[in-house]
Amino acid sequence: MKLLAKYNRVNLATTIVVMLITGIIYYQAISLILTKQLDKDLVVEENEISEYANVNHHLPQVFESNDQQITFTQAKPGSVTRQFINTVYRNKKEEHPGKRRHRHEEYEAGRGLITAVALGDKYYQILIVESKVETEDLIQIIFGITTGVILLLLVTLFITNRLLLNRLWQPFYNLLKELRLFNVADNKDVPLVRTNIDEFDELNQTIITMSTRVKNDYKELKTFTENASHELLTPIAVINSKLDTLIQTDSFSGQQSKLLNDLYSAVSKLTRLNQSLLLLVKIENRIVEGNQLINLRESLEEMVTQFEEIFQDKQLQVNCQLSDKELHASPYLADILLNNLLSNAIRHNCIGGQINIKLNNEYLVIQNTGEETALQNDQIFTRFHKSYSSEGSGLGLTISRQICENLHFTLNYSFQDIYHTFTVKFD
Amino acid sequence: MKILIIEDEQGLRESIEEYFMEAGNICETASNYREAIAKVSLYNYDCILLDITLPGGNGIEILKYLKQNDHTDGILIISAKNSLDDRLEGLDLGADDYLVKPFHLSELRARVSAIIRRKTFNGSNLLIFNEITIDLLAKTVKAHNQSIKLTRKEYALLLYFIANKGKVVSKNAIAEHLWGDGIDLANNFDFIYSHIKNLRKKLMEAGSNDYIQAAYGMGYKFTDQ
Repeated sequence: MKLLAKYNRVNLATTIVVMLITGIIYYQAISLILTKQLDKDLVVEENEISEYANVNHHLPQVFESNDQQITFTQAKPGSVTRQFINTVYRNKKEEHPGKRRHRHEEYEAGRGLITAVALGDKYYQILIVESKVETEDLIQIIFGITTGVILLLLVTLFITNRLLLNRLWQPFYNLLKELRLFNVADNKDVPLVRTNIDEFDELNQTIITMSTRVKNDYKELKTFTENASHELLTPIAVINSKLDTLIQTDSFSGQQSKLLNDLYSAVSKLTRLNQSLLLLVKIENRIVEGNQLINLRESLEEMVTQFEEIFQDKQLQVNCQLSDKELHASPYLADILLNNLLSNAIRHNCIGGQINIKLNNEYLVIQNTGEETALQNDQIFTRFHKSYSSEGSGLGLTISRQICENLHFTLNYSFQDIYHTFTVKFD
Repeated sequence: MKILIIEDEQGLRESIEEYFMEAGNICETASNYREAIAKVSLYNYDCILLDITLPGGNGIEILKYLKQNDHTDGILIISAKNSLDDRLEGLDLGADDYLVKPFHLSELRARVSAIIRRKTFNGSNLLIFNEITIDLLAKTVKAHNQSIKLTRKEYALLLYFIANKGKVVSKNAIAEHLWGDGIDLANNFDFIYSHIKNLRKKLMEAGSNDYIQAAYGMGYKFTDQ
């Protein structure tokens, strides 16, 4: 849930609850005040009746006025207690004056006063009832206005929150965007976004500090890899040259020459691994230079010729569908990319298998037969991931993908029918 | 030929020296910058093997010194640095070739031979080994004046053998020389054998002696002894 939505939800809920409570209190208060007012009117009426009775010594004429009814009933002396009651007011009025005339009664809420008057030796109970309709109308109007105000307030709050909060959080979203663009291998730093809000400034500062530290650590790690690989080269060179010297001396038994051959291939594997590591660091640092117009078709054809003996050795059938494709890139990198992809297609192929190479303006596809199960897409591009039978360095695809990234291409793997398929999509 | 090996790593320096040491060759060595400058300013060499990272200075400075003083020595840079920039800088400054460590001594020898051929034959493009004559410009081979048709790889193989005559060349080195980095893809080096067999057959059909000997399953030796 978005912060804004959450905030709005809480805000709305509390506002509504508070407004409801206020409304109830408001209603009760007004209702109390108006009832008091009615009671006062009733007392005034009572007084008028008693005065009239005192002066005239008979009960006043009972008349029906609007919203007021008075009834007298004879009662036993002293049996009436004076009290205010909530009662029902029977309103007799004419409905639909233009049409059928008929009288009917309507019951309304009313407020009554039971009191008594003594007239000579007679004792009368007086019931004065006043309609509460007008009072209730008033309360309704007041309540309606209040509800209107509440709604208006809510809408205003909602809109202002939305506008204001969106504006307030803008620096946060900007920072988020920068973070999303953050690449540890990139040279670009997270920029300082000036806001006048302390929390965001602090967040920004923290992010900058953190990213700088991460980048430094990463750089150090890469430098270490580079230096380590570099330092290894000299001893490897010595081993290699000593082996070359060793085989010049005298004759060797079959067992000795087998040992020497094994040594040779191990050293050569070590060399390649080391060179791959150095290359990877260089590509990741984007320090491989040179930009030329390369005809990929020509490069591929040349490479296929170069590998011819190896194709024959593994009895591989190679199908090429190449059309011209030219691109600007470092010829060194393009060569490594093609070489790696083609090497993989050979290395992981089976004896008597197939390799299909398709090149057109949009993509380069290299397919090969081999194991009949798909490879794990997310793992094959990671460093040192190798199939159990692989003799390679485990860096070839990592390097290939990094080269593609540098050239703004995408490299993807899929398993189609019986073919392991690597697709380079240009731009 | 007269060769100066400028290399600070003792093991490598000694191996190279031993590999080049034979009748008719003079090998001198230098293990640091000062020693190297002293030697190159006193003597002339057919080829100087120059390491870039040296104690006391940079090999590039030695290269600049040589070029400033119009030395005509052939220069082969041997360096652990395999970046295009280093390579281009070296070649731009007038080095004849650039070989990245680690390398096979036979490869080094082939490169040095190529440099010296370019320097000394000057105009003549013929490389002669007993009855075999190779026209380096036309890339044709004759034995007893009879033309031999060789494929590109067989031709390269022959040149490689002649540069390393009398030495055992490992199959590994041959494969890397002919097929480059892709060679680790092969299951075995059997197809090298078929190339060598073809080369030997073609040479012998033209009346040449059989110079190619297999060496204990490790490699081959091109020798007239």
